[in-house]
Amino acid sequence: MQFFNSGFFWFIEGILLCIVIISFSSWMKEKNIPMPLWKWAAFIIWILFVGFTIAFIGTSFGENEANAAVKGGILFGIISIISGAGLWRLIITGARRA
Amino acid sequence: MAEKDSGNSINRRQFLKASGAASAIAGSAGLAMFGYAAGIDPRSYQGYQSFEGADQNFNREKWTVDEPTYQKVGKGIRPDARTEVIFDRRGYMMRAYKPGCTIDDMNDPLKSYYKENPRDFELDVLGIEEIMPKFRQDSVKYRDQFRLANAFSHAMSAVSPRHDSRPPGEADFPRARRGGTPPEPVSLKDPEMTSKLIKKVSHQFGSTLVGIAKLNPDWVYLHTHRGRGFDVDTPLEVPKHWEYAIAVGVPMSWDSMYANPNYGTSEDAYSRARIIAYRLASFIKQLGYAARPHVPGNSYDIMVPPILVDAGLGEQGRHSVVITPELGCNFRASIVTTNIPMKTDKPIDIGVQDFCSYCMICADNCPSNSITREGRIDVRGYRRWEIDKATCLNFWNSNLGPMGCRLCIASCPYTRKANWLHKTAFKVSLNDPTGLSDKALTSLQKSFYDAPDPQKYYIPSLGGENASYREPPWWLRSEDFIEF
Ligand code: SF4
Ligand code: SF4
Repeated sequence: MQFFNSGFFWFIEGILLCIVIISFSSWMKEKNIPMPLWKWAAFIIWILFVGFTIAFIGTSFGENEANAAVKGGILFGIISIISGAGLWRLIITGARRA
Repeated sequence: MAEKDSGNSINRRQFLKASGAASAIAGSAGLAMFGYAAGIDPRSYQGYQSFEGADQNFNREKWTVDEPTYQKVGKGIRPDARTEVIFDRRGYMMRAYKPGCTIDDMNDPLKSYYKENPRDFELDVLGIEEIMPKFRQDSVKYRDQFRLANAFSHAMSAVSPRHDSRPPGEADFPRARRGGTPPEPVSLKDPEMTSKLIKKVSHQFGSTLVGIAKLNPDWVYLHTHRGRGFDVDTPLEVPKHWEYAIAVGVPMSWDSMYANPNYGTSEDAYSRARIIAYRLASFIKQLGYAARPHVPGNSYDIMVPPILVDAGLGEQGRHSVVITPELGCNFRASIVTTNIPMKTDKPIDIGVQDFCSYCMICADNCPSNSITREGRIDVRGYRRWEIDKATCLNFWNSNLGPMGCRLCIASCPYTRKANWLHKTAFKVSLNDPTGLSDKALTSLQKSFYDAPDPQKYYIPSLGGENASYREPPWWLRSEDFIEF
């Protein structure tokens, strides 16, 4: 378990995040969707929120607070899904037909 | 060639998409594992058995204030431990008690106190006549369930410094050794350096928290506890050498603390706080200055909580316990009064008063309704939080686990382990001047962190189920180790 509290773990997480961002960028290009800075900022904030939700669930289970994990997971999960759907609609505005 | 390029580009894109999706899944799984690891990490048990001072890691500088967050509202009146310290009063009362007795059957100071506070008389009698017999009855029936918790608590209190019961004039000063003369006070270069030294050695002695204040004489008992070297019926003149108060504190075991009221204990922290104070007093005396340890359970000549506030360790909360930035209220403290010249600390304001004004989680969880839902009140010239100590002690005395309750400590949102989640919540609360995040955090705390119905904490004879706030840690579950 100590690995997940180490600097090396965050190094790997950073690499994975970079791959997600590169992959997302390439996907947007493929779909001809412009990605100005504000969209990237919103996307990163959304990713951080989803990350918080996942880590919250894990921490609550680790602390033996199953109730907090479930309730927090549902609340923050719903917020993540709704905000994700809203963000997606925002992102695809201005998509050019190929 | 163009076709080949296009094929390559499709493959490249597909590869990127697939690795993006795989990375998202792996990253999410990693975050879940990070969260889980943070939740179980023993390093989040801040201060528990740790030394060197690294755990007093909140930068108080930014939050210091000139006046403490309790308020002086009139002339300070020194408390009388014989009547106002519930343990002492109940002890005196038990000696004077006869079935059917009335207030008039009591001697002073109990008689005068009960005349002014007749409800306390009723509650003290209730404790003796109803609660204690029911406790004895249930303890025979259910005690095995709490065998390990009680054994752990006893073991933790088994090691204690030899209690010095001489009066301050004798006990507090350095003693001559082997027929020599007592050590003269060394000449110290700088009070600020001395404070630094005292704090460092306190941490070396095992203290998580240490703060220094000028001793306010209003915190010294007018009539103090038995066994402290005084005639308790003669008012105590505050000794001149009690100039400063050094406050030290250590946490109680985190896991068992969440399983209060039946599995937690104060004894582990009491024992360590005692040892630290005696070591510190000895250290100061070796430098030729006077020092007197005031330690738990009841070997104090002073009130501890306001000194913790004066020394900048924290603020008093609604449950009347002091809340610190590092340990919340999960700690126990000792004080050393001394005349070694030191630079004192300033009190801090970390927003506890505002938070407590609408939080009320401790009041919701208190089985005996001892915690007010109203505001602070004026007690002996100071505006502060006050609980109903008689109802609180009656609940303590009914519990089958180690003595006490501590549910208000376990349920307080400030008493959370030092992992990223709770540290972030604390920082957000601390730095939000609007108070909106405090309200949001309180609502989340109330809806996410459920607790048993307070009535269930009582013993079965008093209509409860011996419930605890959280499940006990595995090493305190008697049923897993002992054949009943
Ligand atoms: S110790 Fe228990 S009974 Fe006493 S005030 Fe706290 S929660 Fe209530
Ligand atoms: S539980 Fe809430 S109201 Fe009670 S002391 Fe803690 S913060 Fe204050």
